[in-house]
Amino acid sequence: MFRYIVRRLLYMIPVAIGISIIAFITMYAAGDPITLIKAGKPNVTEATIQALKTYYGLDKPIPVQYLTWLANILQLNFGKSLYGGQSVNLILGPRIWPTIELQLVSLLLAFAISIPIAVYSARKPYSKQDVTVTSFSLFGVSMPTFWFGIILIIIFSFTLGWLPSAGSQGAAGFVWWGNPFFDQIAHLILPVAVLVYVSLAQNIRLIRANMLEILRSDYVLAARASGLSERKVVYSYALRNAITPAITFLGIALGGMIAGAPMTEYVFSWPGLGRQYVTSTLGLDFPTIMGITMIITVMTLIANLIMDIVYVYIDPRVRIR
Amino acid sequence: MSRDNKPTAERKRRSASQWAVAWRRFKRSKTGVVGLIIVIAVVVMGIIGDFVAPYPAFPNPKALTPFYNNNVRTPPNSHYLLGTDVLGTDVLSDILHGTKYALYVGIVVTAITMAIAIIVGAIAGYFGGWVDNVLMRITEVFLVFPSLLFILVFVRVLTLGAGAGSSINFLGISIPIGLTIVVLVLAVFNWPGDARMIRGEFLRVRELEFVEAEKALGASNKRIIFRHILPNILSSIIVVASLTVAYAILMEAGVSFLGFGDVNTMTWGQILENNFSDARIVWWALLYPGLAILITVFGFNLLGDGLSDALNPRLRD
Amino acid sequence: MEKNNMTETLLKIEGLKTYFFTEAGVVKAVDGITFDVRKGESLGLVGESGSGKTVTALSVLRIVPKPGRIVEGKIEFNGENLLSKSEKEMQSMRGREVAIIFQDPSSSLNPVFNVERQLRDVLTAHEKKMSKEESHKKILELMNLVGIPEAEFRMREYPHQFSGGMKQRVAIARALALQPTLLFADEPTTALDVTIQAQVLDLLEDLKKKMGMSLVMITHDMGIIAKMTTRVVVMYAGNTCEIAKTEDLYEHPRHPYTASLLAAVPRLDRKKTLSIIPGNIPNLIEPPSGCRFHPRCEFATKKCEETPPVLEEVEADHFVACYEWKNITLKGESSK
Repeated sequence: MFRYIVRRLLYMIPVAIGISIIAFITMYAAGDPITLIKAGKPNVTEATIQALKTYYGLDKPIPVQYLTWLANILQLNFGKSLYGGQSVNLILGPRIWPTIELQLVSLLLAFAISIPIAVYSARKPYSKQDVTVTSFSLFGVSMPTFWFGIILIIIFSFTLGWLPSAGSQGAAGFVWWGNPFFDQIAHLILPVAVLVYVSLAQNIRLIRANMLEILRSDYVLAARASGLSERKVVYSYALRNAITPAITFLGIALGGMIAGAPMTEYVFSWPGLGRQYVTSTLGLDFPTIMGITMIITVMTLIANLIMDIVYVYIDPRVRIR
Repeated sequence: MSRDNKPTAERKRRSASQWAVAWRRFKRSKTGVVGLIIVIAVVVMGIIGDFVAPYPAFPNPKALTPFYNNNVRTPPNSHYLLGTDVLGTDVLSDILHGTKYALYVGIVVTAITMAIAIIVGAIAGYFGGWVDNVLMRITEVFLVFPSLLFILVFVRVLTLGAGAGSSINFLGISIPIGLTIVVLVLAVFNWPGDARMIRGEFLRVRELEFVEAEKALGASNKRIIFRHILPNILSSIIVVASLTVAYAILMEAGVSFLGFGDVNTMTWGQILENNFSDARIVWWALLYPGLAILITVFGFNLLGDGLSDALNPRLRD
Repeated sequence: MEKNNMTETLLKIEGLKTYFFTEAGVVKAVDGITFDVRKGESLGLVGESGSGKTVTALSVLRIVPKPGRIVEGKIEFNGENLLSKSEKEMQSMRGREVAIIFQDPSSSLNPVFNVERQLRDVLTAHEKKMSKEESHKKILELMNLVGIPEAEFRMREYPHQFSGGMKQRVAIARALALQPTLLFADEPTTALDVTIQAQVLDLLEDLKKKMGMSLVMITHDMGIIAKMTTRVVVMYAGNTCEIAKTEDLYEHPRHPYTASLLAAVPRLDRKKTLSIIPGNIPNLIEPPSGCRFHPRCEFATKKCEETPPVLEEVEADHFVACYEWKNITLKGESSK
């Protein structure tokens, strides 16, 4: 087991490096950032451009730039932002936790809620309740997340005034719902609702499909034949088998969620990496883009690894060779 | 007097072609039928939208007529059925004009994705070898890394490099470059997933006995692939295609919404981008275009689900 | 009507019809079968796949999976009408009075629970007050009973860690945990290696004697019938064709289908031309009219096409559902 983890961690390194190379090349695909930005600002003189390039080290050949960047990254120095020269570390540092917080809460909530709904739906396939649930999930998968967020804001924030519309905590001096802790919760509700709804839809579809298949299996039939109560058969014997494959999916789902962070964070002005990414990419702030990409990649890889470990623990067929 | 003595003509009538059977099954799937209706409605809207809309498409100056009449940001009323937005264009017209863009995105992304995915998937699944290995590595990487992030960067870089707002003339139709860039980038990031699925299908069918039989009869690889395996996989391909259209439309809307789209091409996502900062006021300009996206995507997803039920029957009972 | 001359009737099935209501049509898996199981006997239930043998067993336990449903008929166990019992009452009967062993132990045991857990669940389902120590002891006993070595250690293992034969022993232990009076064994050896088959069959015979229960041996293998059973019910396409003592069935079969089954069994001890039964397995959604076997029967008459025959008593404890039995002589298989 320990060896497995170590092996996986080692394997992550070339993947991360590979992705960083791809990202690096992508950004330079059409030319360096300064030239591109200049396209929209015809007043900038050639001299200024040259000075900027030198300052940021953009006049060096690309492989050299990459290696410099890589060397820095390995010392956890993310470089300087192209917008004002701020240390990227300072920009990204405080934004990491908000993103993680949002993703984790949403994922756990979604998983927890999806189980009872999926089971309920699978027990009576194609019944009215099942069709309702299935349509609801299909709807969720079809909905543009950001639009759902906007609508929620319009309803609950602008019209009803029940919940805050932006940020992760109240503006200076103002606190929602009495104290800082509830204030945090108040701010979490809407963005989490959006993320949960979409993830819920996917989870329900998966678990329901698994349950349907398992409820037709021999061991479920045998359990019934032994006189076990229906409750035990479904919630213990069947469900346990249905959830196991869903765990691996969770890992992928988390990856997808993390990658989709920009959308939700943008809509709710959530001070996380996703929101920052949008701004940085629009402005082609290369170091920041690279920094966020790497952090998110590593987060996704670790999430997958954790999920795989959890899976090995849960499924005895894999655990015991 | 056994049943085998029934006349051949009668027996032929009873066993209909597999497409007719699938169509019958499809008709029974309510989801599929609703999906089909929605998709047809959207396609029709896409075709006639430009002609039916009360006002021409942005950036035609006539589109801003409400603006000149001081009718910016008006809620829905008898004159502007869905209201006007922050720029001063009629929301209804915007939605109608945007339909063709949505379809353009959906269809082209799917076409490109499917084409590449089928070729690569076929080679990987049928021949195996290094192509298969490479493909599997690629798909694994794609599964792990944040596609959206890369899509955004790609689109941004290419858009700035290409110059925004222009369009080229292709066979008499003016095709917006900015949107096309989004389309191409989406296709590039989408094909590995589908290729993987198709590879799986090729593997599955390849192992079926009738393929071995064909080989023993001396059929060439090309023949086996085209005449025997592909038809069996066709149903999976159709289903995935439908779902890919849904995905492409959603993604384009998101990309445009974040501000990476072409400002001059008024796709549904772009409308949302324009009006987002004024959300407190112009809720109609956010609600209706979003609904258009939702209904269209929902329609294609329903269609995909319905097709899946009809073409790949698993014992439903 | 059956007459019980020797032993008491444990299970009586009359005119049972179990249909599956599928999208493709109504599958009449069991379409009017009648037979009984007597106390302490080994009854064979033989027929091709699709003849409805398994569905019969599931119907008795009332665990026929959807979209199946018992449509008509009578099932009496120890004089009690099983079809009128509530689900709770049935649950209490399952495993305790009537039990079943399935064909493939790899799929009939839950892969994510260890053996001890699965056996304990059966025990506590019926004796809720049983303590952990009590159940542990009982499980040890059970595993020893079915011949699993190192029981103390192995009970904590998972099904995939057992070989096929051992898995089936676990399944048998599970079925016998509460000493049921009636055990259905649905092709218990089909999924096992030939070398293991005999072991498991011997075990079953042994346990049956020890526990004094009735065993219904569901199989398509005439060899197993010969070895294990004293009486046989022959089924075809959801109907009962013939019911007789095993010896009688072998020596003087009365139903053409039975004779075909016997003729199709290869023999090592003498020369025999293998015969096949012409035709196809019938479509259970649109079964042949009248006697379901008539399209494949060389003796079929017009009457056979029109109305389904009912079981008639040919001789003592020997019943057949065929119009022509008086007029035909069928070749049997002597055991010599």
